Amino acid sequence: MKALYSLFAVCSLMFAACSDNKPVELYNTKAALPSSPKYNLDGLKVITSFVNKTKGTASTLYGNDQALKSAIDGNKTVGTNEVFTLVTWKQQDDDHWFGAKIPSDIESVEVIKTTSSGNSVAVNYQQLNGKSLDLKADTSGQSERIKYILGQKPSVLP
Amino acid sequence: MAMKTNRKPLYRRKAFLIILILFAGFLCIQFMRPDVPNPPVTGDLEAPADVKAVIQRACYDCHSNNTNLRWYDKIVPIYWGVASHIKQGRADLNFSEWNRLAPADQKGKLWESVNQIIAGAMPLPGYTAVHTGAKVSAADLAVLKNYLASMVHSKPADTAVINAADRQYQHWQKNKTAISKLPTAANGISYIPDYKNWQPISTTERFDNNTLRVIFGNDIAVKAIKENKIHPWPNGAIFAKVAWAQLQDKDGTTHTGEFKQVEYMIKDDKKYASTFGWGWARFKTPKMVPYGGANVMFTTECTNCHKPMAAEDFVFTQPIKH
Ligand code: HEC
Ligand code: HEC
Repeated sequence: MKALYSLFAVCSLMFAACSDNKPVELYNTKAALPSSPKYNLDGLKVITSFVNKTKGTASTLYGNDQALKSAIDGNKTVGTNEVFTLVTWKQQDDDHWFGAKIPSDIESVEVIKTTSSGNSVAVNYQQLNGKSLDLKADTSGQSERIKYILGQKPSVLP
Repeated sequence: MAMKTNRKPLYRRKAFLIILILFAGFLCIQFMRPDVPNPPVTGDLEAPADVKAVIQRACYDCHSNNTNLRWYDKIVPIYWGVASHIKQGRADLNFSEWNRLAPADQKGKLWESVNQIIAGAMPLPGYTAVHTGAKVSAADLAVLKNYLASMVHSKPADTAVINAADRQYQHWQKNKTAISKLPTAANGISYIPDYKNWQPISTTERFDNNTLRVIFGNDIAVKAIKENKIHPWPNGAIFAKVAWAQLQDKDGTTHTGEFKQVEYMIKDDKKYASTFGWGWARFKTPKMVPYGGANVMFTTECTNCHKPMAAEDFVFTQPIKH
């Protein structure tokens, strides 16, 4: 009887060892976007998504309805109340699929907001860096970034 | 004393009879054997010798027309299981009829194969427990991975690719792709146009097949993510995964080119109980042509590849919270 019990114990141990006991990682915690009053993705839609293989980064450009509409029209004119937000992550290998890369640590969040100022449109740009979303103080190069972001062709989403 | 010695032989005889009957039954069922023929090889897998050797040794018993059954495989009832595995294995993936697949599909099956090995799903664990020689070692796996990695090339898009993407874009931009009647897949799932207004939960760069993807979640899915209730996902949650061809520019940025397809997974543990609790559908090109045509069995392709993710409710994507 004793032998039977120990056999039983060994068997259940073996089963425990065989059954999947790797922890299940449900979320991509590395790539999580910090919640902050500095930016807001709620209600924004995907305009496009792109990667830079040399830098190993993945980006998604979001926009509100006005921004999406302008982007589809080629941003020929800049309207008011448009919000563009470009989120850039570092990439990591996808643990679930050999052959894929997914977002990793957040690199930057760039926010463009257009407002009316008198008869013209004011374009405001902010760059928030890293997980702590530090506002980049240096404003040189801003117009280039605005041009780059507004120059993105939307993804075909039929 | 006399009683005891009398009883024992009787008891023994009973057991003997039972064993005899069982053995006779065992012998009888040996004749109930489904046929496992080896059909002709129409075009075998072509790969470097070391790569092919691993696949032949580990996979060919179930995924080729060169099945090599050992004597212990031929004993019923083990044989019944073996025969059904071979039948299903061959139907889903047959390295002896490799030439029947388009080059892109051949590549796809190889990447899928390596991923099934990494996930521990293939070769079937019950099979390697007996056929220990079929196990894929870490060194074997490295051979396969290196081979696949050597097939990955990334170069700036040529004009033909750029032009095709441009044409499609202009069509879409002018709203010419709008669809009046929703196409429906063989399993009754219709194209859901609203997916583009959902929230993206992740993106992937797939260097195995040169695509970029965005995975969208509907409101129920997004709410479940926020509330940490995705294990299992709630009924009503829907994912839409969009794939585009990669379009690499000269500066090293890779953009979304031609739209290829949108795929859905719709959670309903009752309605879709037979397909892991999810309803599956894929619609190709901006015309949203249902994948699989009239054949509802297209879903086994989806479920076979998603099966190793059983512990994650068959979902690959790890959502990004915000
Ligand atoms: C003992 C039989 C057996 C062996 C050995 C085996 N498989 Fe399988 N395989 C199956 C069966 C049965 C299926 C059908 C799905 C299931 O039951 O999981 C399958 C399905 C697959 C699929 C999914 C096919 C599709 O596209 O629908 C792939 C890929 C695969 N096997 C790869 C491999 C590779 C690679 C090896 C060797 C390393 C291997 N298998 C060894 C039996 C086997
Ligand atoms: C060869 C393997 C393979 C096959 C076959 C496959 N998928 Fe997937 N699927 C994946 C991978 C890998 C991902 C993760 C995202 C990515 O990298 O593209 C995924 C992700 C998805 C997602 C997003 C949710 C998730 O699980 O991450 C949907 C929706 C989806 N697949 C639908 C389908 C449908 C519908 C089919 C069948 C018509 C199908 N898939 C067939 C590999 C596969």
